[in-house]
Amino acid sequence: MEPKPAKTPILVRDLQSIQPAIAKIDRQTILLLGVFVVLTVFFGITRDTFLTGRSITSMAFQLPEIGVLALAMMIPILTGGINLSVNAISNLGAVLAGFFLVKLLPSNMVAAQPAPYVALAFLIVLFIGLVTGVINGLLIGYIGVPPILATLATMTFYTGISTGLTGGKTVTNFPDQVGYIGAKSLMGIPIPFIIFVLITLLTYLILFQTSFGFKTRMIGSNPTASTFSGIDNRLVIMKVYIISGIYAAITGILVMSRTMSAAIEYGSTTYVLLTILICVLANIVPGFGNVLNMFIAILILQVISTGFHMVLLGVRGSSFFKDFSWGVLMILIFIVNYFLRGKKSQE
Amino acid sequence: MHYKILKTNEFIVFLILVGLSIVVGAVNPAFFSLATLFDTLRGSIVYFIMAFGLLPLMIAGGIDISFVAIAAVSSYATHMFLIGRGYQGGVLPYFLIACTIGVSMGLLNGLLVTRFNLPIFDVSLAAYTMWYGFNLFFIGATANFDLPRGTIGYYARFLFTVKDPFAGTTGLHVSIIYVIGIGLLMWWFLKYTTIGRGVYAIGGNREVAIRSGFPVSRVLLIIFGIMGLMSAIAGVTMAFLSRNFNPVIFINQPLDVLAAIILGGASITGGRGTVVGTSLGVLLIQVINRALILTGIPVEWQRLVVGLILILFTSIPALREQRAKHTSHTTEIAQTDQP
Repeated sequence: MEPKPAKTPILVRDLQSIQPAIAKIDRQTILLLGVFVVLTVFFGITRDTFLTGRSITSMAFQLPEIGVLALAMMIPILTGGINLSVNAISNLGAVLAGFFLVKLLPSNMVAAQPAPYVALAFLIVLFIGLVTGVINGLLIGYIGVPPILATLATMTFYTGISTGLTGGKTVTNFPDQVGYIGAKSLMGIPIPFIIFVLITLLTYLILFQTSFGFKTRMIGSNPTASTFSGIDNRLVIMKVYIISGIYAAITGILVMSRTMSAAIEYGSTTYVLLTILICVLANIVPGFGNVLNMFIAILILQVISTGFHMVLLGVRGSSFFKDFSWGVLMILIFIVNYFLRGKKSQE
Repeated sequence: MHYKILKTNEFIVFLILVGLSIVVGAVNPAFFSLATLFDTLRGSIVYFIMAFGLLPLMIAGGIDISFVAIAAVSSYATHMFLIGRGYQGGVLPYFLIACTIGVSMGLLNGLLVTRFNLPIFDVSLAAYTMWYGFNLFFIGATANFDLPRGTIGYYARFLFTVKDPFAGTTGLHVSIIYVIGIGLLMWWFLKYTTIGRGVYAIGGNREVAIRSGFPVSRVLLIIFGIMGLMSAIAGVTMAFLSRNFNPVIFINQPLDVLAAIILGGASITGGRGTVVGTSLGVLLIQVINRALILTGIPVEWQRLVVGLILILFTSIPALREQRAKHTSHTTEIAQTDQP
C-alpha cells in the first residue's frame, strides 16, 4: 500500500480502490460463463434437440427448486455458517401445507372454494420457514452451537416431524390450484423460473445494497471485528437463518406445486450437498460471494444434467453420469483457478 | 490434577451417555443386556472405523465428506471385480484390494489439496459427487447379494455368543477386534509420533506449523491415505455384515459421522480431538438410535426424538462454553459494546 497523493479526486480514488474487487469477481464469473457457453455449444452441436424451445422450457421448470435452495444455503455460508436443514425445512413446509389441505379441512370445503385455502397453505409453508429459521438462529446465534451441528440436529428434528405426521407416506390429492405455480407459464416463461430470478435479484439487493447485507458479509470475514464495530452478531445471524428458512420454504412451495405431492424423502441429503456444491462452484466463501456466480453455477448444473441426459439417452444408469461430471468439472475449475491465481501473484 | 478430567469434553459426553442409558434402562430393562450391548457394538463397528479414519483430518482442520464415497467405490468395485472372475475364497483379498483402492483415492484427494492448495472440504465435496456417480455409472447401479462361498459365514463369525431371552442367540462380532486395534493404533499415532503431533500443529495454526518445520504437505498426504484406508475397511466390513454390496452405501451418512466426531469434542476448525472422545461420540449416536426402539416410542416419531436429543446435547457444551466466555475479559468488553 503506497500512500496516495492527497490531491487525487475522490472519484478516481474510489475507482482505484474498487478496481481490484471488480477484477477479482470477474475472474470467477468469466470462468463460469466460459464453462456455461462451452457446455451449451457442445450439447447444442451434439444434440439438435438441446437448444429447442421445449428443452429450454423444461430446464427452466426444473432448475428453480435447486436454485432457490442453493441461495438458502449461500447466505449462511457468507456468515461462515452452513444450513444443512434447508431441504428438511422445504419438505416440512410442504408436508404441513399438504396436511392442512388434505387432512385438516373437510374435502368438500376445499373443493367448493379452493383458491383461498391454497393461498393459506402456501402462507403456512412460508410461516414454517420463519419458525424453523428462528429455531436455527436461536441455536446458532444465541446459544452458540456450531452451525454444522445445530442444523444437522434440526435437520433430523424437522424431518422427524414430517416423518411422524406422514408415517413416511407421500401426501397427495391436492386441489388443482396448488399446481398453478409449478406448471404454468407467464408470457412463455415458466412461473418457477420467474420466481427464481426475482429471488436471485432480491438476494443481490439484500446482500449488496443494505446495511444488513454488509453486516452479514462482515461477520463472515471477521466476527470479532464486527462485534467490536458495534454489530449485534447474534441478531444478524438470527435474521440470516430466517431468510434461509424462508427461501427453503419457497422451494417447498415450488416442489409441492410441480410434483403435486409432499414427501419426506424428497431430495434428502444429496440435495443438501448439491446446494453446497453450487456454492463452492460459485466460489462463495465466508465474507465474500457473488450472486451472479450463483446464478451461472446453477445454470451450468442444469445444462450438464439435461445435456448428458440427452447425449446418453438409453445408456444404462445414464442419469448418474451427471454426478460424475459435476465432480470432475468442479475439480477442473479448482485447478484452472489455481493457475490463474498463480499467474496473478507472479505479476 | 484429578479434577482436570472432570472438566474435559470427553467426560461430559461420557456422563450424557451414562445418563441416557440409565433413563432407557429404567423404561425398558431389556436395554441392560449383553444382547443389546453386542447389537449396539455391531451397529457401531463401521462408524468407529470411519470416524477413526476421519479424526486426524478433522484435527488438522479439514472437514471431509468424500470418505463415504471412498468406502462405496472401494468395496463395490472390489466385489464386482472379484465376483466377475468367479472368485469363491475368503475375505482377505477383499480387504487387500479394497484398501489399495481406498488409499489411492484418499491420496488423490490429498494430492489435489496439497498440490493445488485447495480447501479440503471443497475437494471432498467434488470427490463425493464424482465417486458416487462413477460407481453408479461405470461399475453398477444395483446392490449385489451374490457373495463368494468363502465369505458367507463371515457375518456371523462371533468371538463368543450369548443366549438372550428377548433377542435369541447373538454374539460379539470378530471385527470389534479391528476396531479396538485401529483405535489403539490411532491413539498411539496421534499422541506419540512426530507426524501425529504435526497433525495437531497443522490444525492449531497452519502457518506456525509450516514455520516450525513440520512437513505439512507430507503429513496431510499421510492422513488422507489413512482416511482412504479406513473408509475401505469400513466399506468392506459393512458389506459383509449386511451380506450385500451396495454402490450407494453410506450416501446419506457422511454428516452423521462428522456429527459423532464433533460431539466427541473435536473442533471444526481443527487442533482439538481425541480417539476416546470420538469413540464416545460414535457410541452416543448409536445408543440414541437403538435406545428409542426399546423405549416403545412409535417408529415414525423416533426421528423427531433423535432430533430433539441432538439439539439438547449439542446445546449443553455450547452453553457451557458461553458461560466460560462470559467470565473472560475480552468478551466483557464486547458485551458492553452491544446495545
